[in-house]
Amino acid sequence: MKKTLFLLLAVWVVGFGLAQDKLKACWIYVGPIGDYGWSHAHDVGRKEAMKALPWLETAYVESVPEAQVEPTIDKLVSEGCKVIFATSFGYMDGVLNAAKKYPEVLFGHATGYKRAPNVMTYLAEFNEVYYLNGLIAGALTKSGKVGYVAAFPIPEVKRHISAFALGVREVNPRATINVRWINAWFDPAKATEATNALMAQGNDVFAFTEDTPAVIQAAAKRNLPAFGHYSPMQKFSPKTVPSGQLVRWEKIYIDFLSKVRNGTYTNRNLDKVDYWWLLKEGAVELGGEFGVPINPAFVPALKAKRVTDKLTGKQTTVYDLVMARYEAMKAGKFSPFTGPIRDRNGILRVPAGQVYPIYSDKPGANQASMEWAAPGIVGQWPNEPKN
Amino acid sequence: MRLEYLPSPSPWRQAAAVALAILAALGVAGLVFWAYGVPPLTAYATLLRGTLADPNGWAEVLRRAIPLILVGAGLSLAFRAQFYNIGAEGQIAIGATAAAGVALFWPIEAPWMLPTMFLAGFLAGAAYALVAALLRAGLGVNEILTTLMLNYIAYYLVQYLVQGPWRGRSLFGFAFTDPFPPQAVLPTLPGTLVHWPTLVLGVLLALLLQFLLSRTTLGFRLRVVGANPQAARYVGIPVGPTLLVAALITGGLAGLAGVGEVASIHKKLLDSSNITLGYGFSAIIVAYLARGQPAWAILTAFLMAVLFAGGDVLKVAFQMPFRVMDVFSGLFLLFLIASDFFAQHRVRWGR
Repeated sequence: MKKTLFLLLAVWVVGFGLAQDKLKACWIYVGPIGDYGWSHAHDVGRKEAMKALPWLETAYVESVPEAQVEPTIDKLVSEGCKVIFATSFGYMDGVLNAAKKYPEVLFGHATGYKRAPNVMTYLAEFNEVYYLNGLIAGALTKSGKVGYVAAFPIPEVKRHISAFALGVREVNPRATINVRWINAWFDPAKATEATNALMAQGNDVFAFTEDTPAVIQAAAKRNLPAFGHYSPMQKFSPKTVPSGQLVRWEKIYIDFLSKVRNGTYTNRNLDKVDYWWLLKEGAVELGGEFGVPINPAFVPALKAKRVTDKLTGKQTTVYDLVMARYEAMKAGKFSPFTGPIRDRNGILRVPAGQVYPIYSDKPGANQASMEWAAPGIVGQWPNEPKN
Repeated sequence: MRLEYLPSPSPWRQAAAVALAILAALGVAGLVFWAYGVPPLTAYATLLRGTLADPNGWAEVLRRAIPLILVGAGLSLAFRAQFYNIGAEGQIAIGATAAAGVALFWPIEAPWMLPTMFLAGFLAGAAYALVAALLRAGLGVNEILTTLMLNYIAYYLVQYLVQGPWRGRSLFGFAFTDPFPPQAVLPTLPGTLVHWPTLVLGVLLALLLQFLLSRTTLGFRLRVVGANPQAARYVGIPVGPTLLVAALITGGLAGLAGVGEVASIHKKLLDSSNITLGYGFSAIIVAYLARGQPAWAILTAFLMAVLFAGGDVLKVAFQMPFRVMDVFSGLFLLFLIASDFFAQHRVRWGR
């Protein structure tokens, strides 16, 4: 009897201890989690982190306007959140204010650049994957015109278009990349309209930055290839999506939360913590579907197209080139922004033999804040630097 | 069964209708919560605890009430004159833009900076509403359409400015202006985003408009023009100019609301949908519920703010999808508007 009681007590104490020992992390999303783009991908990351970390407890709030982030953080802290991820650039100042107010809470701010002892920044960065898609697009275009439907003219989107254009031009030195801005992250109607206009101008391969498969669906009506963006989009048109960009935010979330758990990261040492995670860390992947880097329907065409690898000087196929670069970047041995790179106006941006730095003291002279356009890009380019 | 119109229902009847409407809305919304797996009473208890029983909650309610009072009071007056301004969203954005222009490009010293910003915001919002009023007074163009369409023009104007000429140099190319200088930032209650000077201004202006409407010649003219424009013309009231005055006031107050938002919460100009947050449309309901009495808009704006802030509380506490909250506030408004009909009509049985 005594033994049983003792056992029960032990179970209760241990059970209570475990329950107490959970870490509560909370997510703030700028859009609805059903958007099939940005917020959806972060929410997938949250769920995957929950699966991987048994001691993790989570909560989220969706569709929080940028100005509302501080009051939202107040509420999350009062609900017991110890780690808060704010997943929009516009939350930056609100997060930093809240971080001062709640020094014991740890914050992660996606896409930002301001940090504090309890605020880290993180980004799953796509430029390598865009470059790989560019190589494929350069091989697939028959008209030599590749269409790009772009969201907002901010450095991140410009960097991705330039990486894409560098890939296109490496395979197809005379091709152009024709850009249309829709000034929206989520606007299937405008994206469709832009795609139709680009098709009318003779573009026959498409890539985009927008949170829906609208571009893919518009291009598929004329059986033209378009790359997936952000979420697995191959299923929307299995025969016309050669590849695409995929994100795995959970890689960052799991790494960060585990290090919070084991004491590596605390509320006093985050001011140097910035995740700029690429293929090497597994935060992004190539493909229109997880595990399918290139749609098998396009493999014969890519194997038939021969090019010279500019690094080795040897003849190869585009398929092998894509795979070789993919492996090199997964091993951290190559960056699309390896010099010499001139912009479309002929200004030298990255000297030969150098890799464009991710950050530097000079605004506009690094990947994080670059605004120039790579050669081959045609169309409006707001705030294009003149020198 | 037939309906009998009551020209002046008793206050008791009106109060009872509102109370019934609120109960009915709570009941139906409760069903929605219940279907979502949250016991209705728990949801309502959480809502109250998170808003009116919590200092942070109060701060949220007040913060949201500020633009609603300003815009709602102005709209109550305009609606009395039958000037249907649906363009408060645009006027808020234009007011915010004018204030941002002053803050960023006109180096004024500390005590005069904020008053200048408010003045600029008022004038800009008023001028923007005046466009629609001139078209209505001069050419008989329906102001519901013009004010609504002007919202889009304001939105794209702000987009153009923040992505183009006004874009901040310190912001890595993101579409915001540089932050306002310190003398262009409104004080807030410590630890909150409640910019109390705008709150005080809003309450004073709502009371002033009430006085103007019920105690002055101009107010009398506004009421007559609204009640019967033909009669107004007959007794020699200049209908056109009176409409212009109504437009100036409603547009100007919306402009002031925009100034308050950018000078306190944002401290910069940004994409205007993030500034207006639908206040311009919600204030139409605030004005409707205030029954054309600007002073009442203080109260109805406060109630609306409780609903909004309460929605946020439920979103966080129960992980509800954000649309559930739109359903919640939508039900309230639907029942409140329906209650109006029953307050003014009596159901009679038999002939």
